[in-house]
Amino acid sequence: MADLAIHTENLTKVYRGDLGKRPIVALDGLNCDVERGEVFAFIGPNGAGKTTTIKLLTRLLRPTNGRIFILGVENKSHNSMERVGYLPELPNMYGYLSGREFLDFIARIFKLDFKERKRRVSQLLERVGLEKSSDVAIRNYSRGMLQRLGLAQALINDPELLILDEPMSGLDPIGRKDFRDLILQLRDQGKTIFFSSHILSDAEMIADRVGILNKGRLINIGKLDDLTSSHITSVDVTFRVESDALSRVDTKKYKTVIRDQNVMVRLNDSKEVNELVKSIERWGGQIISVIPQRKSLEEIFMTEVGR
Amino acid sequence: MRVCTVALNTFKESIRNRVLLNILIFAVGLILLSLVIGDWSIYQQVKVIKDFGLSAMSIFGLLIAIFIGIRLVVQELEQRTIYIIASKPIRRWEIVIGKYLGLSLTLAVNVIIMTLVLLCTNYITEGIIDFGLLPAVVLIYIEILLIVGFSLFFSSFAAPTLSAVLTLAVFVIGHLSGFLRDYIEVYPDRGYHWLLKIIYYIAPNLEALNLKMAVVENLKQPPHALLYGIVYGTAYLLVVLIVTAAVFHRRDLK
Repeated sequence: MADLAIHTENLTKVYRGDLGKRPIVALDGLNCDVERGEVFAFIGPNGAGKTTTIKLLTRLLRPTNGRIFILGVENKSHNSMERVGYLPELPNMYGYLSGREFLDFIARIFKLDFKERKRRVSQLLERVGLEKSSDVAIRNYSRGMLQRLGLAQALINDPELLILDEPMSGLDPIGRKDFRDLILQLRDQGKTIFFSSHILSDAEMIADRVGILNKGRLINIGKLDDLTSSHITSVDVTFRVESDALSRVDTKKYKTVIRDQNVMVRLNDSKEVNELVKSIERWGGQIISVIPQRKSLEEIFMTEVGR
Repeated sequence: MRVCTVALNTFKESIRNRVLLNILIFAVGLILLSLVIGDWSIYQQVKVIKDFGLSAMSIFGLLIAIFIGIRLVVQELEQRTIYIIASKPIRRWEIVIGKYLGLSLTLAVNVIIMTLVLLCTNYITEGIIDFGLLPAVVLIYIEILLIVGFSLFFSSFAAPTLSAVLTLAVFVIGHLSGFLRDYIEVYPDRGYHWLLKIIYYIAPNLEALNLKMAVVENLKQPPHALLYGIVYGTAYLLVVLIVTAAVFHRRDLK
């Protein structure tokens, strides 16, 4: 367990319903491991329990049942957050402070000394591209600037584990790219990143592993490659034959697209590849490419969630 | 240390958001108004000014205590600023007590400036500075701190409007504590006697913190009234803050 960044056992959260209403099961027996040094994406539709999970991990909520271990330590004490950085969804910070003052305030909570505070605050403001507006009151910040400052405060303690709740929401395409680059840089520094998202393309681009959550239950978890490769929908085989041999190609048996001397065959069953390869040899053709077509994360997500 | 960080930040908030300034302008204006009202009262000018000044201090303190006290934590939840702070290595009680101390500091500045203005008006009218008013001021401040404690306590589990009503109820009952005791003694056979007794024992006796009349009228004060008020108020306050911190510790920050 010590080598895991996050480990949850049967994690359950039930919200007491308002007067006369039923309790709501927001998270139902979550067992999830996140290894150190990986980028883990937690995806699911609205109301799936992503934010509830994150708030349980960060001690904002108390679990109804189950246990949570953060970097090998059970998160029962506030000390378990020493090496964790957290960015909430659509973060909001004290509008009356400037960006620099806010980061200094957070650094004080981590009991960093004056020199270290000054160094880290300046370094982070530069890293997230806010050095020019560091002395402007936060109430004048745009959504994108708030998101950047939110990330800076999450990094103030140089955390080993970063927990980001919908980090890309509210950002424009450039902002999202910057954010993705920053996350990958942090991963290269050996940090573990756990983030929730409903923007699947972002998850697909940067995550090593993905967990799919729906209605409070983890319905699939695995490496992105494994998840997508186990869902091969078809195989495209392209080969080249001489013009006079084109007539030998069995266009009745195979779905083909012929352009000049190039033939593309789409096989719906990957087991048929060997047989086709033999036929191509027989026809005197030359194989150019064999490309398995995988389901995108979005398609997998829609299939899993739609069940 | 973390408590101080939160407290200083809360104090900074009241300065930056001009809360302190607005309250001060209004309160100081009111004390100065007492000069005018004092002029209308024949032979009683000095007393009216002192009485009016101390009452203004008390009423303003109460209003700030209720309205800002309730907003203190509720605002953090509504604006979602609490998520970043509470997810750091900080205990929940450090946040609550830090915010409480920050507001207490704001109120202390408020009371000090109002006292200085009151003593100045006193000097203008009487030609002397009556330091005899200070014990009443100290106890007004302790009463304000207690009311902030209650508003923080109620707002830790109830909606803001209900919290305001409950805090106001504590204030009223606290000042009628003596009447309540007399009533129980005079009519001991009433069916709801037990309820009144519970209220009497639980509610703070805010009259123990009221020396306004005594200092204005130059009445003989009970021995150690100031000391008793300080000890009683502080002890009561500690209990309220401990319970508030415990409630907040268990609270889900949805």
